Amino acid sequence: MSTSPKIESVPARCARWLLGCALRHWPEETRPWGMALVAELDETTKPFEAIRWSLGGIMFFTRSWFTSAWKWLKLPAGSSLSNGGPQGSDFLPKRSRFFTVVILVATGLLFLLPESREAFRTVRASWLGFMLTNSDNRTLDELGTRAEKEKDASMLAFVALSTRDPKRSEKLVEESVALDPTLVWIYGAKNHRLDYYPARQEWLDRLEVADPGNAVPLLLAADALAQPKISPRYAEPDYAKLENDPQWMALMERSFTAPRYDSYMQKHFQLMRMMWERDPNLPPEIFLVGMWSHAMPDLRLVRLYGDIRLREAKKAQAAGDTEQSEKIANQVGTFGARMAGSNGPFIEQLIGIVVEHSAQVGLTELYASEGKAEEARVANSKVGELDRAVKGFNRDNPRRAEQIQTLQWEAAFVQGFGILGGIAGLAVILGILELELRSGKNRNRTSVWRRVMCLVSDYAPAALLLASGAFVVCFLPFQRALADFRASAFLPADERRITDALWSLIEVPQYMLGDDAAVAFWSFITITLSVLAISIVVWSWHRTRRAAINPA
Amino acid sequence: MGVRIRLSRQTLAILDALLVRPGQWHHGYSLSQSTGIPSGTLYPILMRLEKLHWLETRWEEAKTPGRPPRHLYRLSGTAREWAREELRAAQKKHFWTPAGDQV
Repeated sequence: MSTSPKIESVPARCARWLLGCALRHWPEETRPWGMALVAELDETTKPFEAIRWSLGGIMFFTRSWFTSAWKWLKLPAGSSLSNGGPQGSDFLPKRSRFFTVVILVATGLLFLLPESREAFRTVRASWLGFMLTNSDNRTLDELGTRAEKEKDASMLAFVALSTRDPKRSEKLVEESVALDPTLVWIYGAKNHRLDYYPARQEWLDRLEVADPGNAVPLLLAADALAQPKISPRYAEPDYAKLENDPQWMALMERSFTAPRYDSYMQKHFQLMRMMWERDPNLPPEIFLVGMWSHAMPDLRLVRLYGDIRLREAKKAQAAGDTEQSEKIANQVGTFGARMAGSNGPFIEQLIGIVVEHSAQVGLTELYASEGKAEEARVANSKVGELDRAVKGFNRDNPRRAEQIQTLQWEAAFVQGFGILGGIAGLAVILGILELELRSGKNRNRTSVWRRVMCLVSDYAPAALLLASGAFVVCFLPFQRALADFRASAFLPADERRITDALWSLIEVPQYMLGDDAAVAFWSFITITLSVLAISIVVWSWHRTRRAAINPA
Repeated sequence: MGVRIRLSRQTLAILDALLVRPGQWHHGYSLSQSTGIPSGTLYPILMRLEKLHWLETRWEEAKTPGRPPRHLYRLSGTAREWAREELRAAQKKHFWTPAGDQV
């Protein structure tokens, strides 16, 4: 039995350091064999031998570690391999750690599917009230920067419409239109945001020049004039102020007599859809928030001007000028019909129908009072048609109401399974942490808490997997609605379907958390985390104090 | 009580080395040197043989101060007979040849 002199070359020192590290993390049950191997390192006589010996040691360590991990996984949570594994008196879960790991990995894999990720993203957004989060703002910033680099006009327009930063938005609007003049309509797309600021006059002038004959740029210009005078934030407009404003009245007159009403909403939807098709992983709230900055005139002002004109028609009739009265009512009716047939979103069409309806009612009364029975009958039948069209738009329409009710049920299932999955996930974390971190102390206790934790550890992972699977399956109708919207050619029906689907998802969070879902959600998270942090601090303090009193 | 198992060529080589002086204790490094088996293969085999009660082990205090104690191995009494039988059987089947016979 020889004892060789210890070699101190750099490779030998590295080999010793490597084996020392391995030995520190060597599994308990095979550690003596690791120590035996390390002790032999001093017997090597050449640096190369030392390296070879240590590499073999690392292989042995890796093998021991995996064998030990596998054995550990086959035991239930809360048990360890030291002292020969679980004892008869131990109160432990029935399922092994391996079972739990397999279930959790399966759940993780499920959420790698694009459909599952979309379900998670959309439902998460519904709990935050489809508001932009900080992460969404960062995503928009990144998209904007990329679009500027790549000179991507559509992407620039998309970011300009979605970002909440007015200065950045202005800059991106200019860049976008400079690159692609067909995107000129985005000049008018700033009129209806909650954080309203009027569109710049020169933009509206450019839009009017770029799209002559269209009523929409004129209506947008009239809005920009009206909004500061009435109310910046959707309060009830002061009609008298506008009625006496010749500039506003002139713009409205021009828009009501313009030969076309081409809604920009179709272009807006198409832009959104194109961006969503290009990157389906973008969160839905970015698109919803983007729709708030749409290029649509204030529809109440359209109705207001329609009413003003119909009052003028009545005045003319009272003054005996029936021809003028009929002319005005027809002009209003024609504008309403043009707006209703604009292929814009349903609200724009609905207001068009309402304006036309008011005009036809006026005409019916006028013809009836003039004794023109046939004209009165035709106008009245038109009123009936428009009534039916309005009902078609209404949520009370039986077919649509039925569809919405189905969506609401489906949304309730999605949210229900989502909540169940969330609770099961938290229970898995709690059960595992409780059993693994306090394994030594409570192993053979049969308290209610211990029993509950064992039950949780046994069944919560399976509940999590089942709830996640059901969550994804129940989300499929919504996933189809989103996919159909992305693939649609934009029709009002597509827009209604997507908005009905998304708004039905928000109903459960709103019911559970009140109107301000985002505030309630984050308050809950903050309070829970605070309570947890305080409990840990109090528990640690109590433990330190007890240890100080009773050092044994 | 030892257990009989199917043995690999490396295990047979280690048994052969341990049988050279069966009553004597062997170090891991010297076994590796005599058999040419690297440490990453040698120690799992020794560990397995010990678990099967074929191998007796003990710790030896280091002769040089500052060095860790070394682990020693030798075949248990019954295992020596079994090992010889296994080596003979393996040789007959041409599954294994002693190191000296490999030309």
